[in-house]
Amino acid sequence: MSRLLTHLSPLAPDDSGACGVFYELGGITVICDAGGCAGNVCGFDEPRWHEKSSALFSAGLRDMDAILGRDELLIRKLTKITEQIPAAFTAIVGTPVPAVIATDYQALKRMAEKKTGLPCIPVETDGTRGYDFGEMLAYSRIFRTFAAEQLPVRNGKCGVIGATPLNTGLTNADKIVEAVREMGYDEVVCFGLDSGLDEIRRTSECAHLLVISPSGLKAAEYLHEKFGTPFSVGYPVLPEDVTAKAQALSGKRVLIVHQQFAANALRNIITNCDVTCGTWFMHDSRYDSGFTYEFRDENSFREAAAGMDVVIADPMLRRAVPGFKGEWIDFPHYAVSGSAKW
Amino acid sequence: MKNAYYITAAALAERGFADLPEELNSAKHMIYSSPATLDYNSPGAKGFGVKRAGLAIPGSVMLLVAPGCCGRNTALLNELGYSERFFYLMLDDTDIVTGRYLKKIPKACAELLEECETPPSAVVICITCVDALLGTDMERVCRSCEDLTGVATIPAYMYALTREKRLPPMALVRKSVYSLLKPQKRVSTACNLLGFFSALEDRCELYDLLRSAGIKTIGEIGRCQTFDEYAALSGANFNLVLNAETRHAAQDMQERLGIPFIELTRLYRLDKIRNQYKLLGQAIGAEFDDAEYYDAASAKITQFREKYGDLHIAVGECLNADSFELALALTEYGFHVPEIYGTVGERNFVFIRRLAAVSPDTRIYSNLSPTMLNYRRETEIDAVIGNDAMYYHKDLPGIGFQEEEQPFGYRGVTLLFEKLDAALTEGE
Repeated sequence: MSRLLTHLSPLAPDDSGACGVFYELGGITVICDAGGCAGNVCGFDEPRWHEKSSALFSAGLRDMDAILGRDELLIRKLTKITEQIPAAFTAIVGTPVPAVIATDYQALKRMAEKKTGLPCIPVETDGTRGYDFGEMLAYSRIFRTFAAEQLPVRNGKCGVIGATPLNTGLTNADKIVEAVREMGYDEVVCFGLDSGLDEIRRTSECAHLLVISPSGLKAAEYLHEKFGTPFSVGYPVLPEDVTAKAQALSGKRVLIVHQQFAANALRNIITNCDVTCGTWFMHDSRYDSGFTYEFRDENSFREAAAGMDVVIADPMLRRAVPGFKGEWIDFPHYAVSGSAKW
Repeated sequence: MKNAYYITAAALAERGFADLPEELNSAKHMIYSSPATLDYNSPGAKGFGVKRAGLAIPGSVMLLVAPGCCGRNTALLNELGYSERFFYLMLDDTDIVTGRYLKKIPKACAELLEECETPPSAVVICITCVDALLGTDMERVCRSCEDLTGVATIPAYMYALTREKRLPPMALVRKSVYSLLKPQKRVSTACNLLGFFSALEDRCELYDLLRSAGIKTIGEIGRCQTFDEYAALSGANFNLVLNAETRHAAQDMQERLGIPFIELTRLYRLDKIRNQYKLLGQAIGAEFDDAEYYDAASAKITQFREKYGDLHIAVGECLNADSFELALALTEYGFHVPEIYGTVGERNFVFIRRLAAVSPDTRIYSNLSPTMLNYRRETEIDAVIGNDAMYYHKDLPGIGFQEEEQPFGYRGVTLLFEKLDAALTEGE
């Protein structure tokens, strides 16, 4: 059965992805749930929760709120919180509960903006898709809402889209900034990681955008269209121990599994091997030079791994291939196992 | 930015339970998933939430039928050795609006059984808010699964939406885990301790007291290693309910299995513990001699107080105690409780009234209030109890006091002060 997981735990969901994008932007983010989804985000998918505080809350929905569609109560609670905590915007992130009752997010947006006077960004995630879908929606909407002004371009400034812990395992921007500086940029900003809403507003200053996850592509395309800012894709922060082991391979059939741009970046440094990439998440064929697996279930992953000498992937995925006799190189992906040691 | 909201015990007692401030009523505000209290919003992540509790039946496996987001943090339980016992039927968006997945569940059960090296004793099907809203008759689905697989199948309801209802998820799951017990001849010298998914601390005096009353077999689900040991629980002569959330399960056992129950409360005031044991003795026709245990706990308190003086101790709610009862106990023992981080309910309001009389200035905070994002220490605190309190006061000596081995009775009091003593000694 394709939707049955017998070895793996569920991967990071779309609502976690959306919350990760908003986390450091100075808004009030409300997860439209009963509490469990917020707990999953804060307690598992958001490693910054214990390092950097953020105004991220659960709507605390109860059964009668959902059954009766008490949108006014939600907006009343949201308004109250804006009186307690200063914020530049509010965001409402969806979960399975509003999906079941067909919540009208545009109506919520209008009601919230009217009551709070702040821009409201609804994200209609439902907890059934991957984290990257939620990130994609959140990036698109935050840039569309706040990156409005055309400012003079600063040569040497590069903006990085997709720098979330779920993509990289990093909770601060140091390694990414260092790596992008080495690419020749003087000024580097990782949107939403060690940077706030002001940098989003000043996106048009960037001479170049680097997209490090497919979840950032839609936003980059929008920014290119609006400001003419060129963008490229890449992943400049591969873990050193992984690259060292990968570069030592020779004459092997290798499967790399991660988010597409990280997997591609690793493939590009491996020579003398027959390398294939795969992902459980978004895949954009415009940015692939070869065939890439899109895993939809444990069987498809098992079949792909079966023909390989080496699998480079998150350690949790190893459980899905108990009979695999080849070499396994750990390439942690926070959105898979919820851990990534750097 | 508003400071963290608090109200003093005196002010709260004066308002009364019917007039709780909005900040203490989680239905009236957004909920802050404070790092201090993650196990409130995500009980699956820590301790025994519905998912882990559902697997308290030895040899059982769980099928979580939900969107991926509901099972995400279950990966944490893999570290505790549960990875082979969890299976997931992931729902997509069409599933959650049409309910079409219900027909797939029996087949999913059959498939997961093929993956099990040894046949499980039971399949626990865990469902979430989606099914709460769709009104799924999961008992019927479980019967279909049982018909197809021949393996006992029971539901576990992880309905976060119903957390404040008369039967919240943790009460329902307690009923579920005892639901596979079958009627059998009862043994007059056997009893069960119900309430926790793990066992009481080994040296708890309750074991000795019950044995002194002629009880030879004391059953606890947390000590059952095999399904046979679990099945033997239905031979008990009576159940002792140590946690009110188990009352519904005990009532069900009374109706189905004919096992009556007696309810006790976890307390930290020595005189109240003594009273409770006295009443228990009367109920089962025994006279307990608890002097040894009372004296040991009393001596430990005295020794602690002589060593450290009248400390200022903050009390949280992520701990094995009722925050307000524990705060009241500490106050009665001569300590100061400047702050409590807790959830005010009808049941514990009685302690707040008493606290107001002996410690009127004690500040009561709600961990769930969004204003706790701005919490800063403003009172004199020497030590803290509870994992949430430890989060707020990382620089102070403290104990989580939330271990899986459950403290109870005099031994619980002794353990509390032993652990505090160790933490303060380490702090020095």
